[in-house]
Amino acid sequence: MRRTHSALKKMLALGTFACATFTMQSTSFASGGFSPDASSVNQTSHSLWIGAWIAAGVVGVFTAILILWPVFFHRKKNEEFPRQTQYNVPVEVAYTVIPFIIVAVLFFYTAKAESKITHVDKSPATHSIHVNAIQWSWQFTYDDAATKPTVTGTPDQAPTLVLPLGEKVRFTLTSNDVVHGFWIPEFMIQMQNLPGVENHLEFTANKLGVFPGRCNILCGRAHSQMLFKVKVVSPADYQAYINSVKVA
Amino acid sequence: MTTFAEPTVSPSYAAGGTRKESKGRLFVKWATSTDHKTIGYMYLITSFSWFIIGGILALMLRSELTAPGLQFFSMEQYNQIFTMHGTIMLLMFATPLFVGFANVIMPLQIGAADVAFPRLNMFSYWMYLFGGLMAFAGFLSPGGAASFGWTAYAPLANSQYSPGIGGDLWIIGLALGGIGTILSGVNFITTIFTMRAPGMTMFRMSIFSWNVLLTSILVLLAFPPLAAAFLGLESDRLFGSHLFDPANGGAMLWQHLFWFFGHPEVYILALPFFGIATEILPVFSRKPVFGYKGLIAATIAISALSVSVWAHHMFASGQVLLPFFSFMTFLIGVPTGVKFFNWIGTMWRGALTFETPMLFILGFLITFLFGGLTGIILASPPMDFAVSASYFVVAHFHYVLFGTVVFAMFGGFYFWWPKFTGHMLNDRLGKVHFWTLFFGFHMTFLVQHWLGIKGFPRRYADYLPTDGFTWMNELSTVGSVLLALSMIPFFINIWISRNSPKVTVDDPWGYGASLEWATSCPPPRHNFLSMPRIRSERPAFDLHHPDIHTEKLH
Repeated sequence: MRRTHSALKKMLALGTFACATFTMQSTSFASGGFSPDASSVNQTSHSLWIGAWIAAGVVGVFTAILILWPVFFHRKKNEEFPRQTQYNVPVEVAYTVIPFIIVAVLFFYTAKAESKITHVDKSPATHSIHVNAIQWSWQFTYDDAATKPTVTGTPDQAPTLVLPLGEKVRFTLTSNDVVHGFWIPEFMIQMQNLPGVENHLEFTANKLGVFPGRCNILCGRAHSQMLFKVKVVSPADYQAYINSVKVA
Repeated sequence: MTTFAEPTVSPSYAAGGTRKESKGRLFVKWATSTDHKTIGYMYLITSFSWFIIGGILALMLRSELTAPGLQFFSMEQYNQIFTMHGTIMLLMFATPLFVGFANVIMPLQIGAADVAFPRLNMFSYWMYLFGGLMAFAGFLSPGGAASFGWTAYAPLANSQYSPGIGGDLWIIGLALGGIGTILSGVNFITTIFTMRAPGMTMFRMSIFSWNVLLTSILVLLAFPPLAAAFLGLESDRLFGSHLFDPANGGAMLWQHLFWFFGHPEVYILALPFFGIATEILPVFSRKPVFGYKGLIAATIAISALSVSVWAHHMFASGQVLLPFFSFMTFLIGVPTGVKFFNWIGTMWRGALTFETPMLFILGFLITFLFGGLTGIILASPPMDFAVSASYFVVAHFHYVLFGTVVFAMFGGFYFWWPKFTGHMLNDRLGKVHFWTLFFGFHMTFLVQHWLGIKGFPRRYADYLPTDGFTWMNELSTVGSVLLALSMIPFFINIWISRNSPKVTVDDPWGYGASLEWATSCPPPRHNFLSMPRIRSERPAFDLHHPDIHTEKLH
């Protein structure tokens, strides 16, 4: 009797833990793993992410049912041969045209979102940060401060990229050596740092806090240590920060 | 090994003497063979051995990732291991596995006695074998094996950033193996165009043989640029040329050249195995392939589109025309969808039974379905900006490639084993094998989608305890162990199949459609002692079930 009691207690504890974990996770699950508004990119991409998953879910469930239907209901019952159907033109036309319409719709929203995200203004930006990648860390130069202060990290000491809340920043991406990838998962954005090429990117951070950034293009031995932090602060704090960074 | 020895004791040989062959004789006979079946078995055995080696490397990667911190390997070693895992699985396992299946099965299906260039065929094999060994031999070199990823991005792969002989062995080994693949492609195309049996028109050819033809054409489009890129890279490393110098735009040039090969390569791996699925489904549904001509049209469309989508691997490079490559990538989903409905239509209102080959193909359908759907998501550049080069992509391409290549490979093994060896594999063990593999696979890779969404980049040797990746990596590693264990029932099955009763009929499954089921198990040296009339795309079925009426397109 006592043993069942303790087993019950354990199960209850485990259940509570599982529920708690699930609620913690579920907020994240419900939003598809991404914040809908952490940055200007999220504001564009998040609805597409959710929409694409809904489309994929509908198509996936429908197709999986079609696969499993004959598995359960069209099994061999006797020695009689089934009808040897080989063609059904209307059905074949339908399953060619319908997927085409689905991808055309997805492409329409993709093209809209993509041109918005990759758009870079012709006029000079208010904030401009140069992100230079080096084996195996990052160099952030704040071009909008007169002194153009630079922060350089090392594999052991990840540098921090400070961004002003709600203000658009233009990034210039370059590389000192090999190809690197500038990726901020929270902001749904990444772009390669290419040696010999300048890449440009603009977005606005809309969420205060510190977020991880990671190099995601293999760049040699310490690739997995090429981390950085993104710290989003108020515009005033941002100004104070870039003025306080010592010029090397 | 002995299981494969059976085919050599074919009627034509038996006439010359029935004495049991010594191992040495057998070796010489295999090593000097020009029989497409023997060469095919050599390809299958060699590529499967690489599958096991690549799998062991994968287990090493998974064990390192189980917990944050470096437990077993240094970062450099980890980079070598995933580089060789990718290289082996794509270029030393999956590609030659296609060559193996095509070699054994395609000439039988078109009613040919051999391939068009039997000696060239053997030459391809030696190129592949030694090329592969050369690339792998990097592990024995002082600096270790290549560690710049199977994509070998410039300038990381040049002599400044990746010195050491391991990289050179990798480049030249793969270039040699690539030439072997090109020659196989030439061989298959010529064979299909010139050696079909009387009555075997193009539109009576089995889907597998069609897919071999289209795959071979893709090989001719994709592998020469790769060989050129490799030789250029080696020239940069060895002679100091500047082909892939970033100052000349070399970083992007490499990405374009590599992916111009790399994307068709995905279809080079997929199409033959789609073909295997299309061979197996009708047999266990007791129906003809649904929409045969539409299916061929879809495969041609996939092949054509597959050379126009390469830059979707470079969506995050900031240097490609996003809408064009995105649209092409979306478009390739259409013929792929068509294939799904062809497969479903084949099963629809059939009389399904679930022998092991059928189970593996159903496993393929479900797995590849999910891989295809995440592929549609990744066709959209904004989604790539979020998850490209993360574990989401790792999960996606394992669903696509493992789902296609490995599931269909085992389906093909169980299906054609009697044709290869004259013995059936055990069905019960086969089912144990399937279900362990299926659960092991999904346990390993499903969670990796979430890992990618949460921000874990691919090719990372390590992560932080605070990243929150730990439980997902643990789950994935447990799954990978289950996946590895699923090989045990398969090996037991091969071992005991030696003693299973000899298959005495041409078609042990009873409903085989294509010509390989109209000759003995295993077939004689030149494949057919008599050729049945070929009046439809199901010659063997017509032969064995002459009274069954197939509903044609009018």
